[in-house]
Amino acid sequence: MSVDPDEELVRRVGAGEPAAVRALVARKLPRILSLAVRMLGDAAEAEDVAQETFVRIWRHASKWRRGNARFDTWIHRVTLNLCYDRLRRRRGWVTAEMPDIVDPAPLPDSHPGEEAHRVERALQAIAPRQREAIILVYYQEMSNIEAAATLEISVDALESLLSRGRRALQTMLARDGGHD
Amino acid sequence: MTEDIEGGPAMDARRFAALAQAYGGDLRRWPEAEREAATAFASGEAGQAMARHTGTLDALLDSYRVQPPSKALHSSILRAADRHLVHRRRQRFWWLGLGLAGIGLAGAVAGLALVSIVTPEAGSDHYVLDANATAFGDAGPDAENGEESL
Repeated sequence: MSVDPDEELVRRVGAGEPAAVRALVARKLPRILSLAVRMLGDAAEAEDVAQETFVRIWRHASKWRRGNARFDTWIHRVTLNLCYDRLRRRRGWVTAEMPDIVDPAPLPDSHPGEEAHRVERALQAIAPRQREAIILVYYQEMSNIEAAATLEISVDALESLLSRGRRALQTMLARDGGHD
Repeated sequence: MTEDIEGGPAMDARRFAALAQAYGGDLRRWPEAEREAATAFASGEAGQAMARHTGTLDALLDSYRVQPPSKALHSSILRAADRHLVHRRRQRFWWLGLGLAGIGLAGAVAGLALVSIVTPEAGSDHYVLDANATAFGDAGPDAENGEESL
């Protein structure tokens, strides 16, 4: 089992060291926030999720022991679960029953410099499990093994989610903006 | 069209395309075990064409950047952490107090038990309370017989 780069810091946080708390926030907040923003497509909700994630970190840091997962994998799982809670409340959907593409309608017309918004809207329109896979591998820069562990699936299943997700994005963005 | 890498897995066009479709054109995101073979394959014409194909979506995905955390959010999280630390310290003191009280109570119970064990039973009191006994000994009819037999 490889060394967890966060283990020592988490131990110090668990011991109540204020400097370690500050270091952990500086190290993890950008990752947690960007994950939540891309999952939810809403900056304010993402900030709430980031705060809730840290409350759970403070609560569990003193008891946290590395099992099979690294600390970073664990906080990604916590953040994703909190995002799912909000998505369920917002839309009332059940993950397992989601179709590959949620919204087949073309994306709104784009203007120059609005590519990021188009991608954001396209990401929100694909199935959440595909969105998760793409965000973890592409934006969170997790290895395939870490991403599969976070999603609690096999690497083959991760690759399938990634492929279907990218195909769905490609179709949507091409139809919308004439790419590819 | 297979690239054999010494000690690593072979890479063919089909596998390369599948990986490119899943992970995009940047080989740094590809599975570590297949990266070396993929790098070799990517230098060929077929590999370059596939990489170009996935590059369009990669560029679009790259354009979606997220704002860094605000100072307000950062401070709010740190304040919550402070509150949690203070609460935990209080809880620790509370448990410590409870523990000490428990130890004190256990000591008192143990002391009481010890006193009741160590204190001798008042056997002679039973004798004194006997209706036939006097200050000079047992004055009962049996006692008399006993003295005669001496």
